[in-house]
Amino acid sequence: MIQLDLTRRLALVAALAVTAFPATAQEGEKPAESKEKSEESKDGEKKKEEVEHWFAIQNGDVYTGTGEVLRGATLLAKNGKIHSIGYDLYIPPDTKTVDAKGYRLYPGLVAISSQGLLGNSSGDFDDTIDPFNYRMVLGLATGITTTGAGSGAVKLKRFSVDGAVVNEKIFSSFSWSNSNPRGKGELHEKLVAAANFQREYREWQRKVKDDKTLVEPTKRGVDNTVLAVLQGEQTAKFVANDRDELLGIARLAQEFNFRPVIEGCQEGWTIADELGRAGVRAIVTPRDRRPKDERQALAGGASIENAAILHKAGVAIAITPATEGVDLGGLVGRDIMHLPLEPGFAVRGGLSERAALESITIVPARILGIAHRVGSLEVGKDCDVIITDGDVLHYKTFVQWAVVDGKVVYDKEKELFFAHIRPRPEAPAPKKVDAGETPPNPDAKPADAEKEGEKKEEGGDDAKKKGEGDEKKKDG
Amino acid sequence: MLRSHSILFGALGALTALAGESLAASTSLAGGPLAIRVGRAETVAKGVIEHAVILVEDGKIVTIGEDLPVERGITVIDRPNWTVMPGLVSSYTRIGMDSEGGDDMSPDVKASTEIFPKSRDLRKVVEYGVTTLGIYPAGNGIPGLAAAIRPRGDTVEEMVLKDPAYLKIVMRSDSASKKRVRDAFAKADEYDEKVKKAREKWDKDKDSKKGKKEEKKEEKPEEKKPGMAGVEGQGPGPDAAEEPKADAKAEKAADGFVPPIPDDKVRAFVEMRAKKLRALVTLTSAADWLHWLDAIGKETIGFDVRLVLNQESDYFYVLDKKTYDLEADGIGDRKIHAVVEPLLTYTPNTRRVRNLPMELAKAGAKVCFTPRFDDLVNYKAWLGHVAELVGAGMTRDVALRALTLNPAEMLGVADRVGSLEKGKDANFVFLDGDPFQPATRIQAVMLDGRFVFGEVDP
Repeated sequence: MIQLDLTRRLALVAALAVTAFPATAQEGEKPAESKEKSEESKDGEKKKEEVEHWFAIQNGDVYTGTGEVLRGATLLAKNGKIHSIGYDLYIPPDTKTVDAKGYRLYPGLVAISSQGLLGNSSGDFDDTIDPFNYRMVLGLATGITTTGAGSGAVKLKRFSVDGAVVNEKIFSSFSWSNSNPRGKGELHEKLVAAANFQREYREWQRKVKDDKTLVEPTKRGVDNTVLAVLQGEQTAKFVANDRDELLGIARLAQEFNFRPVIEGCQEGWTIADELGRAGVRAIVTPRDRRPKDERQALAGGASIENAAILHKAGVAIAITPATEGVDLGGLVGRDIMHLPLEPGFAVRGGLSERAALESITIVPARILGIAHRVGSLEVGKDCDVIITDGDVLHYKTFVQWAVVDGKVVYDKEKELFFAHIRPRPEAPAPKKVDAGETPPNPDAKPADAEKEGEKKEEGGDDAKKKGEGDEKKKDG
Repeated sequence: MLRSHSILFGALGALTALAGESLAASTSLAGGPLAIRVGRAETVAKGVIEHAVILVEDGKIVTIGEDLPVERGITVIDRPNWTVMPGLVSSYTRIGMDSEGGDDMSPDVKASTEIFPKSRDLRKVVEYGVTTLGIYPAGNGIPGLAAAIRPRGDTVEEMVLKDPAYLKIVMRSDSASKKRVRDAFAKADEYDEKVKKAREKWDKDKDSKKGKKEEKKEEKPEEKKPGMAGVEGQGPGPDAAEEPKADAKAEKAADGFVPPIPDDKVRAFVEMRAKKLRALVTLTSAADWLHWLDAIGKETIGFDVRLVLNQESDYFYVLDKKTYDLEADGIGDRKIHAVVEPLLTYTPNTRRVRNLPMELAKAGAKVCFTPRFDDLVNYKAWLGHVAELVGAGMTRDVALRALTLNPAEMLGVADRVGSLEKGKDANFVFLDGDPFQPATRIQAVMLDGRFVFGEVDP
């Protein structure tokens, strides 16, 4: 019965929903209808299995990460996926809600890589993740809901060991270094061999239909990882900062038609156009410093404008801090707990704030091959949301709640680490109903008089409580 | 012969006859009935009995009650200032053992094979009140089968109460641990398949033999057929129609089918599936619990857990499903035994003290205490360590049970030890006060009706 009722109301929602996301509501409606039919025909037990988990964040300013802002909107998630974003949405009964009035919603941040957030595990994260370790809490407090780990991507899914790994074996690492010319030559040879094989194989595929005696070209001598890169199954990752190295990689990419990811890319700003044309994607750290090679006449060294110039030239920019672990000594302020601060320095160098936000959300998600699930707040994507008390790039901003798969996994007030710093103001008490609204009852006059007396006292109490609260705050 | 008497006086009537015979030797306390009168008895199973009298014969408790009259001629030990409690049960220990284990899969190794009856340590723990021990095999991975023993005896056979008591499995948050468990069950699947095939073959052979017989008796085959159909769910058994079937397993034996003997490495897992054996899974963090549940998947084996406690233990995340909205069951939800050290811990990264054993008990787990470290010093201080937890909020009943009846249940010997009840082994610890008071000392220990520690004259 409830199901039936719900579906009807959903249909209503579809009609009422703000047209910002018209497709959503319709999409949401159709499966519900078909489900209803199938459920009617089946037993009650089946119905129980298909429990729908609804989750809503209400009244917040939704920064979707795609450039749009919906002020005071509601984000509704069903079974961990974003169901709809908009105004006046119908919230089904039994929906878990968070009131984000005065707060902002951002897509959960994506750390292109990190260390320690998944516990002391390395590799095989399905089997080794520690979803209770404190670094995961700190990661979520930073706003990170997904991280590159090893050569895969894993969600910071607390309290569960299932379904945390979202992608595996994304990268294969290659070296292209001025100090190792032989290595360069070998890589080039491997690429040539793999490209030749690809060509021969395609030709054989085309001809074998007519002439079945043709022999399939042999894979002998072909490097499998290099082939996987050329076939687009894996992403080639280089670590390079030098101008010449970067140029070399860009030329390789153009010659063999693949899109490399270059970590570092410090002198990239000097050859941004070449990198952009080659479809390079860069992982940069704006606060990195590199002196100019004085033997070179050309421009060189690190520049705070690096990210901005690269972005302008069409290079996709992902930003990562100097160290990728939770570092409570040494490089404090430049560890993974300061991921959202790092793009701020790129903004200082001229990057737009939108690109800065994208550099820690959708761009790393694309590089990790998981942009269809995370990286922005869009209908159908995973409900990985952070709720902040200000601009996510601002140094003063705290993550108040972090949500992964439609479940609150971090609440600043409930965790040990930052609850004492600028605690969330308590939700204001509901306003007292004006005495004038209740019709005067002459019979109950004495009682009213008493009540008024009480009210005055209560008021006094309130005042006292407020005073106490203020004192407490000062103490804190 | 006296155990069947339900009324004390009936028992005593019979006892007097015996007592007359053994009167001369009664001062030695060996043989013959013995009555013990103490100020207080912590029965564990049935609360406290003040002014308790326990009648012991043949190493068993004949009866126990408040102020029971004792017939003349029965030796009486009268200690109105003493408290008696069941002998302590240490379900997870290697005291008295010295071998080292590997990191591999050896579920066929039996800890009982390495018991050395003359071990000094085993004699010593008795003085600290321990009358039952669960000895586990050394090593990581799946090191083998534990045995429940009594710490006195001239031979291993004499000492063993139950063997195997449980299969020890060490679960860590790594791929190797999960693979080990999954592979083991996969092998058990292979064995099941083997049994099925052997069974089919055996049935065929039998059918062909029967075919010859049936030429003589023609009526029977028709009666059999519906019977065959009926049994198919439990596995094909053509003989089921001839005899009324009790259950599938009994029938297997009855009709003469001998299943192939499982490989040594597989047997434990086959027995676990048949609910004949339980596992004790060693975990070191809350994450391990989730990984363990993930590793066994849909297997419905019985298991208990050994939770290694350290100062930063985070098991409070997985006590129950509700608190942290887990997708899997919590430890308490499963109502299983949890073997822990009596140790107060901290909430990780803080100095906030937690009483995790108490939290486990509250969540529904059956707590079993093991000494903080597996050495004589900690056995000696065992009661005192538990007392710290009682001081920090754990109830006395839970603490007492966690030292006696719960570990006895876990070892599968609760029908013999773990509480002061009629018919159970006469394993007692006599104390000169409350077991959890610091000034209290153990005065005497009785094991199977004999004083093995303390000078006790009637």
